[in-house]
Amino acid sequence: MRKVAIVGQAQVNASDVGKSRERMLFDLCKGFYDGMGITRHDIDTFVLCSNDFAAGHTISNVFEDCPVGAYMKDETKVEADGVMAVTYALARIMSGLYDTALVVGNSQGGSVMRPYLVMDYTMSPTYDRQLGLLNELSSAALQARAYLDAYGLGDEVLDRIAARNLRNAAKNPDAFNGKADATPESVAGSDKLYEPLKQDHCFPFTDGACVLLLAGEEKAKELTDKPVWIRGVGDSLDSYYPERNLARSKSVKLAGERAFKMAGMNDPAGELDLVEVSAKFASQEPIICEGLGLFAEGSASDVAVRGLAEIDGAMPVSPSGGALGAYPLCAGGVTRVAECYKQLTGSAGDLQVADARTALAHGQDGLYLQHNAVMVVSTEEG
Amino acid sequence: MAEKAERSVVEVEVPLDFTYNYRVGQYLERYIKGLGEKKILGVRCSGCSKVTVPPRNFCGACNRVMDEWVEVGPEGTVENYTIGHVKVERGAVEKLDEPRLLAMVKLEGATVPLLAEVKGMAASELENGLRVKAVFKDPVSDSLADLSHFEPVGQEVK
Amino acid sequence: MRNVAIIGVGYTPVFVSKRKDVNIVEMISESVGAALNNTGLTPDDIQAVTYGNMQTFEGVNLPHLWTSDHMRALNKPTIRISTGGTTGMSTLQAAYYYVASGMYDLVMAVTWEKQSEGDSQVGLSGIVVPEAMTMVQHGMDLFSGKGMGFGGGGSTGAASYQAMSYLHHSGASPEHIDKMAALERSNAALNPYAHLRKKTTVEDVQATPMVAFPLRFGHTCPTSDGATTAIVASEEMVNKLTDGNVAWIVGLGSATSDPCTANFLEGQITDPAEQMPAKIASEKAYKMAGIEDPGRELDMCEMYNGFAHQSLMWLEKLGVCKEGEAHKMLDAGALNIEGEMPTNASGGVFSTNAIGASAMNRPTECALQIMRKIEGGHQIPKKIKKALSHGWGGMFQYVTVMVLADEPVSS
Repeated sequence: MRKVAIVGQAQVNASDVGKSRERMLFDLCKGFYDGMGITRHDIDTFVLCSNDFAAGHTISNVFEDCPVGAYMKDETKVEADGVMAVTYALARIMSGLYDTALVVGNSQGGSVMRPYLVMDYTMSPTYDRQLGLLNELSSAALQARAYLDAYGLGDEVLDRIAARNLRNAAKNPDAFNGKADATPESVAGSDKLYEPLKQDHCFPFTDGACVLLLAGEEKAKELTDKPVWIRGVGDSLDSYYPERNLARSKSVKLAGERAFKMAGMNDPAGELDLVEVSAKFASQEPIICEGLGLFAEGSASDVAVRGLAEIDGAMPVSPSGGALGAYPLCAGGVTRVAECYKQLTGSAGDLQVADARTALAHGQDGLYLQHNAVMVVSTEEG
Repeated sequence: MAEKAERSVVEVEVPLDFTYNYRVGQYLERYIKGLGEKKILGVRCSGCSKVTVPPRNFCGACNRVMDEWVEVGPEGTVENYTIGHVKVERGAVEKLDEPRLLAMVKLEGATVPLLAEVKGMAASELENGLRVKAVFKDPVSDSLADLSHFEPVGQEVK
Repeated sequence: MRNVAIIGVGYTPVFVSKRKDVNIVEMISESVGAALNNTGLTPDDIQAVTYGNMQTFEGVNLPHLWTSDHMRALNKPTIRISTGGTTGMSTLQAAYYYVASGMYDLVMAVTWEKQSEGDSQVGLSGIVVPEAMTMVQHGMDLFSGKGMGFGGGGSTGAASYQAMSYLHHSGASPEHIDKMAALERSNAALNPYAHLRKKTTVEDVQATPMVAFPLRFGHTCPTSDGATTAIVASEEMVNKLTDGNVAWIVGLGSATSDPCTANFLEGQITDPAEQMPAKIASEKAYKMAGIEDPGRELDMCEMYNGFAHQSLMWLEKLGVCKEGEAHKMLDAGALNIEGEMPTNASGGVFSTNAIGASAMNRPTECALQIMRKIEGGHQIPKKIKKALSHGWGGMFQYVTVMVLADEPVSS
């Protein structure tokens, strides 16, 4: 199979970027091209990632094509989490038909629309929307409760997870929802939403965009001295209906197994140096990490007490601050990959994980972690 | 040019409120009609014996049409719950004066839980394993709202 | 490069205005079931799923999630693609790339629309908010096409500009549009999966009211409920699972330009009949397929034609014939099912338009023609070795192309 690497990233996240979508994308992409010393003509195929409901436009990509530089170019749009867009760009290059692919994810959930409303529209119109009981928060709360109850854990473990992410986010110049002095107590004191979830357990409404440049082996080595190789991808769709055990995620497990198999990894927990997961709620982080086999099932309390997920811990989880630092919907998954890229190129600043060589990025869609996608990236070519 | 264009763009509120008319399909239609007779109908998969409520016509796991109708409930057990101190209204979070109780109820005869509101009890008393009973709307309205909510077993049903 | 083929297709039993008997996911389930039945495969055989529709048309965000069980995608890798009118082919192209990359060997592409549940003009007007006012100011009647389906920008008005421009450039007359409309409607009458199935004469078309000159009501497409699923396989799987009667994907391309309203904002108007992306995408696909003279080497075409003039226009823009020659081919009978370049033997989008599936039905019709598995009376009599399919969408700006063949290009 053809080797493909990530050769550059750029991102912008804010509660309100103060720009139109077109201007945000133009500034980000033009700045990226200039920084890389390339032009839009160096891009063979564009894989955009946005969502019609989030954009308020049918065919959301029509007004994105020109700002990102895709005029008269090959372009397509993935309408799902950004990790899927990167996966598709990977497949396009692996096919041999393209040498470079630009992935651009964006949404304006901070200033233009409400992410919870977008999730409302994701529910079945014939039943769940008619009942009016289910929404993004209540579904996440039910899953959080299922996890805590399954293993007899107290709510405070969620506070510890959130506090770590918020503290890390404060050191990430690409995040905006950081709280340098966040503690489990301060998180516990935030507003109650649906129990056990509180305000500080939840992703912030974010305007944002993220661009990643992928290239086939030869081109990648031309473009950078520090290519980050995509070694494995995997995703899996679970049932829409919440009939499964919500305390675990088979979808995460299968996605991970597929990516590890493709990457030739026998001991993921031993071989990964960090993971960047899209835990939109603090309660999702342990479910995702345990599904990936990084920690034992139900071990969230132990992980927190022993600091295993800290930047200097045994398995740093979302050193960027993760989705609690910024979560620009479809761009969210692209951002997780970009944060892995920063780590593996040694450009993660105060959040740098020492000797980081192999990392995993995770993205998700739907209620109760219905669809999960992961990507393993590494400095080693393989 | 771009700056000029941006100055001219004031923030506009553009609600995308369109009316859609969804076909519920024959299964939900029968379910809704059942509620009107104070019956909760589910459907059993002949492959895995799973009984789903509300009914749907296809079992993804078994790749087969589900067509054995069964009556379930009206009593059941709380399997999971959340206490809502807020509601989400068109994507906006609004505080509630009184908390709302939301539970996943496994009805008698069903193998998968039904999401429903629980009323008639203090939030602090809601717990897994609690026995609850369906309360139907009277008169019926031929909609999903005919199954109004659940109450703890032992209480007077209005 | 790996060889990739379409090995089977499944349509919903009918494409009609309103499927009242099923809900969205039940309808999709029918086409997936048909594709599995037609190939003798089970859900376990399918390694990954690509999925596409235009979600605002039904008001369901990321509907692949709700469709999980009904489309037999449980525990499978699943990706959702959406590019507007081209969604169907973009979704099939994603399945192609998944297999061509070596990531998967057997992928199912699921596309659909159930337009009766929303108003397609709702979805289309959603494109142009907040550009709607600008379009109205420029005389583009957004709502004149109400109930008539896709115009790219929600407007038969905008399509009429394109038709006018095309007539000027090509030398075709408005009567050629009538003639093409009658031909395609009559083809659709032979196709059990077409929506508008009435044998139609030129006079019938000319008796319909004028919507926006030169387009009449009889030149516009319907809105349909329906779904199409295609199963795509690697050469290894073709050898393992089939008798070899498959349709190889030997060339593909896509290209985008600018949304036409963006230029209205600047006071400039892109000629909507220029369609440079069609040239870019098709040249790329022909090169990949080893086609040097499309007009001679292609045996049939399936065009994305929301409006009747477009089949003629696309033949020229995609290099099947020279500019100004498509209407002469029509007059000479070359575009008939029995002709030299049968064009939209299925009746085209113009006769059947479940939008998310519309650009999928173009390549699936080519595949079924190549495999000689056409149900109904529109099987092209001559052997089809190479077929051209085309999708069109965005706001007049986006083109996808796929060339199918009876044998792979490389071996």
